Amino acid sequence: MLQGYAVVGLYLLLSFALLGVVLLLWWFLRPKKPNPLKLETYECGVQTVGDAWVQFRAQYYIFALIFVLFDVEAVFLFPWAVAYNQLGLYAVIEMALFLLLLLGGLLYAWRKGALEWA
Amino acid sequence: MGELIAFYLLAGIAVATALAMVITRNAVHSALFLVLNLVVVAVFYLLLGAPFVAMVQIAVYAGAVMVLFLFVIMMLGAERVGGTTGLRWQVPLAGALGAALIGGTLFAFLRAPAGLAPVGSPPVPFGDPAAIGERLLTTYVLPFEITSVLLLIAMIGAVVLARDSGPEGK
Amino acid sequence: MVTLTHYLALSALLFGIGAVGFLIRRNALIIFMCVELMLNAAGLAFVAASRYRGLLEGQLTVFFVLTVAAAEVAVGLALMVAIFRTKRTTNVDELSGLRG
Repeated sequence: MLQGYAVVGLYLLLSFALLGVVLLLWWFLRPKKPNPLKLETYECGVQTVGDAWVQFRAQYYIFALIFVLFDVEAVFLFPWAVAYNQLGLYAVIEMALFLLLLLGGLLYAWRKGALEWA
Repeated sequence: MGELIAFYLLAGIAVATALAMVITRNAVHSALFLVLNLVVVAVFYLLLGAPFVAMVQIAVYAGAVMVLFLFVIMMLGAERVGGTTGLRWQVPLAGALGAALIGGTLFAFLRAPAGLAPVGSPPVPFGDPAAIGERLLTTYVLPFEITSVLLLIAMIGAVVLARDSGPEGK
Repeated sequence: MVTLTHYLALSALLFGIGAVGFLIRRNALIIFMCVELMLNAAGLAFVAASRYRGLLEGQLTVFFVLTVAAAEVAVGLALMVAIFRTKRTTNVDELSGLRG
């Protein structure tokens, strides 16, 4: 079983190595004549303002909060789906209960207007 | 032998990233080191024959939870807040206590080694999602349902806390 | 041969680092991350024990711990943002008042 993951690891190493090789190759090949205009993030188009460390707006964050909880729910669905064949109706009822409770949470968030984009 | 080398290599990375996370000044760097640490632990889970838990670790922990952390750090603009100021005697005391904790546990583990060899080759459906799912929905169905209540409570709590203080600027 | 002791020692080391970080850092968010590190170290010990004893329960425990951690993070970070809005700080030394 671990051999399968070894391939993944090898692939990861190879892709990093390839990235390194490409960057190094460019470093040697390219001419180095920097000027301020060239070092801008966007050479043409909108002027960049401020630096990249900006504060996000607070609205995104409630979505992220709820996303984390539903991500956990999705993770619970996965073993359920795989074990479904051996368990039958029993599993359906259990998971329906699980989902209904969480649906209650979603409805609550909805009613409270947490999902509105204002 | 190769297994031992892999273990020490990964353990070195895990300890180094944990230390870097505690030491570095910038909270964003701290969070990124923690992501690396979580990924290394996920690799350990793979080595220990727990592919499903490793997947969950990456998807939930290194993915969603740490994204939320980074989000909040950026939102609060808290990436450079606070080094290790505070009470003057706190850092040395914490260091000493931490060293004592690590030393004590290491002493206990190494003196009476639980040095078991892994149990043969693990039973065939060990740690795969189907085996976990079956166990989860039969023997441990009560904790499973309680988990959904916990998630519901967490969701309501998060919504209440996030809404009641009102959006900024309003 | 990698034994269970190896994994337990590593787990203890990570837990200890997390505990020290918890004590010395003043940024509430980093303190929170140290808690995650400690939970993670405990998880490693659980999975290692699960493998070396041939029991599936260790993995299930970690699964539940991960769930609890996600719920804890959601509420904890919401709480932290709420505190930040009234106090404008995430430094725990400045959060000494008992009344908001």
